[in-house]
Amino acid sequence: MKSLVFKKVVSVILLGILFTSLIACGSEQTLESIDTTQESSQNQDIASETGSNEKITIRFSFDQGVGEPTSIIVNQFNESQDKIFVETVILPQDSNVVHDDFVNKLASEDTSVDVMALDVVYVAEFASAGWLEDLGQYFDDSTQDKYISGAIEGATYQDTLVAFPWFTNASVLFYRKDVLEKIGVEVPTTYQGWIDLNDKVKGVSGVEYLSSFQAAQSEALVCNWVEFIWNNGGNILDDSGNPVINTTNNIEAMKIMLDYVENYAPQGVTTYAETESEQVFLDEKALFIRDWSGFWSTANRDDSKVAGNIGATVLPIGPNGDSGHSCLGGLDLVVNKFIDQDHKDAAIEFIKYMSDFETQKQFTLIAAQPPVLKAVYEDAEILEEIPFYAEFYKVIQNGKSRPKSPNYAKVSDAIQRNIHQILTGNLGIEDGLNKLQQEVEAINN
Amino acid sequence: MKNKSYSLKKNEIRDAWIMMSPALILLGIIAIYPVLRTFWISLHNMVLTDPGSGYPFVGFQNYIKLLKDERAQDAIIFTVKFTITTVFFESLIGFSAALVMNKSFKGRGIVRAAILVPWAIPTSVSALMWKFIYNDQYGLFNDILHKLRIIDSYRAWLSSSEGAFLALVITDIWKTAPYMGLLILAGLQMVPEELYEAAKIDGASILQKFRLITIPMVKSTVLVAMLFRTLDAFRVFDLVSVMTDGANGTESVSLYAYKNLMKFLDFGYGSTLAIMVFVVVFLISLFYMKGLGNTLTDI
Repeated sequence: MKSLVFKKVVSVILLGILFTSLIACGSEQTLESIDTTQESSQNQDIASETGSNEKITIRFSFDQGVGEPTSIIVNQFNESQDKIFVETVILPQDSNVVHDDFVNKLASEDTSVDVMALDVVYVAEFASAGWLEDLGQYFDDSTQDKYISGAIEGATYQDTLVAFPWFTNASVLFYRKDVLEKIGVEVPTTYQGWIDLNDKVKGVSGVEYLSSFQAAQSEALVCNWVEFIWNNGGNILDDSGNPVINTTNNIEAMKIMLDYVENYAPQGVTTYAETESEQVFLDEKALFIRDWSGFWSTANRDDSKVAGNIGATVLPIGPNGDSGHSCLGGLDLVVNKFIDQDHKDAAIEFIKYMSDFETQKQFTLIAAQPPVLKAVYEDAEILEEIPFYAEFYKVIQNGKSRPKSPNYAKVSDAIQRNIHQILTGNLGIEDGLNKLQQEVEAINN
Repeated sequence: MKNKSYSLKKNEIRDAWIMMSPALILLGIIAIYPVLRTFWISLHNMVLTDPGSGYPFVGFQNYIKLLKDERAQDAIIFTVKFTITTVFFESLIGFSAALVMNKSFKGRGIVRAAILVPWAIPTSVSALMWKFIYNDQYGLFNDILHKLRIIDSYRAWLSSSEGAFLALVITDIWKTAPYMGLLILAGLQMVPEELYEAAKIDGASILQKFRLITIPMVKSTVLVAMLFRTLDAFRVFDLVSVMTDGANGTESVSLYAYKNLMKFLDFGYGSTLAIMVFVVVFLISLFYMKGLGNTLTDI
């Protein structure tokens, strides 16, 4: 009898321990959110002390890559506001992690996040899943016209504006001005034009390779590849979304790209993402690099060997190309469709603030991210601070969005695998493009 | 009297269930339910970006797709190759390291702690580090081989299938052989010294001592260590994801499952792959359990 009581006591204690540990585990996970809510309630306290009414709190989620400048802007917004308070939810700087986080939340119709900064390539996917608020009703055509057309086009899905551009990004061809001056040539505008310089530049000021770009099996490869295709007058999908990949035009473009990989770039270029390719250029080993616009400030930092010697120009074209098109990147702001109208209104107010002239200009200066508002590119102060934006404005106006598909992740994956296999010599050009064509057709069906 | 003891026994059984229930419930929640749920999802056509489809039940269609999927087969072949190679070398190196560490020498404590450093570094961090080591312009790997005159020019190790496979295997061995070593060392230290002394008196040679005492005594420890490593190696994900992202024929099953689940949001097919990984891991465990005989349940 005694032992029975003892057993009962022990089992109760064990149960107790078990549940406390469970609770402890649970609270650890939500620690972060508790922290931020405390912060916001403190802010509300301050607000009520200063006599204003209760604020609507919206949560804005974005990645660490633009964490610091964005926090500055958000703080300014909060100071300017007496109705809305924006809380920041910062995610790691990894486009996949961010994507997965948003998908997990939206797929479960979670309302803990109101505004999200979404990579432009995922807009079609999220829109087709019905997760995004239609923004066309809040931003009329004349407003949209003030922004870079490629960016607006990228935020539109099936004729509906489902996102609003926040900042954009485009690839630029950065070259060594000093080297071209030394050998006394103009900046080439075609792929062949650059190849013709290969023999002349080897060994000049340490140059070992003609080019550096990104051909590792990654999203960057997709951007590099579509540029070779566009710049030879080709395309990936036609107007109705059907793949047009294995055309004669694209085979020619692919030949040029393979030629660059095999003969005019470092051997490891098929393992290079942005960081590795940049290292080669920063070490004065490459004549030019195709990279995102943000590289301008990295390469011109005081401790950079190539600082002050860099020129920027549009991407070269192939024999059938008309002009150099760059691949557009950047982030769009999207509104969670599952939140209530009050929060939606607050979210729109916030997006309007983020996209107005003053904020766009300031963000450009502190974050070195290209703005989406055209007027900023013509602003005297901006041009003085970042002279390369004069050239960059031309680049970005010709920018194009990557193929828009609700299954973009699959399309991108198919491009990455097949093109990478062509570039590493495991697949022939025509076989590879045929295979890619079939795979994309299968994805679309 | 008889009745009383019967009810006491009944009570005890009941109490046993009550006391075990938290553990059983917990096990059910964290182990059994997810597996059953994943299996259930794998019987559906569930693509999250297409909620309009209503996620219909499709029976074993995903499993039929898996049998026809060349990419999945390539992934399985790569994963099996990777698992066998790494576990073999890790066991070999781990065992040798354990034998060395088991001897008493000056600074043994430091060596034991130091050998665990690679294991303590998170895989994604060491993968990034090794990616740079294999770099074709600045890589340490090239530098060393070049200085040893094994290669005459720097190579891009990760740009070919053989090179990438080799690079991944070396990185994995570097990271986990120490772990193997430590587990086996624990086993070696449990071997009573008296056995060796007795063998010495009987005039056994070093090899005989190793074959007849050491190996049988640590066999179960080694098998448990190998079981852990095999399961881990078969699920290899972060290493491949960071170093090659599956390029050059190095896509592992877990990476392919991850891409289906988190990138394509194809939960139906992704779950099918996950269930396949589960089944294979289960079979591997059974295989080792058999090798272990009843030593696991004996204790």
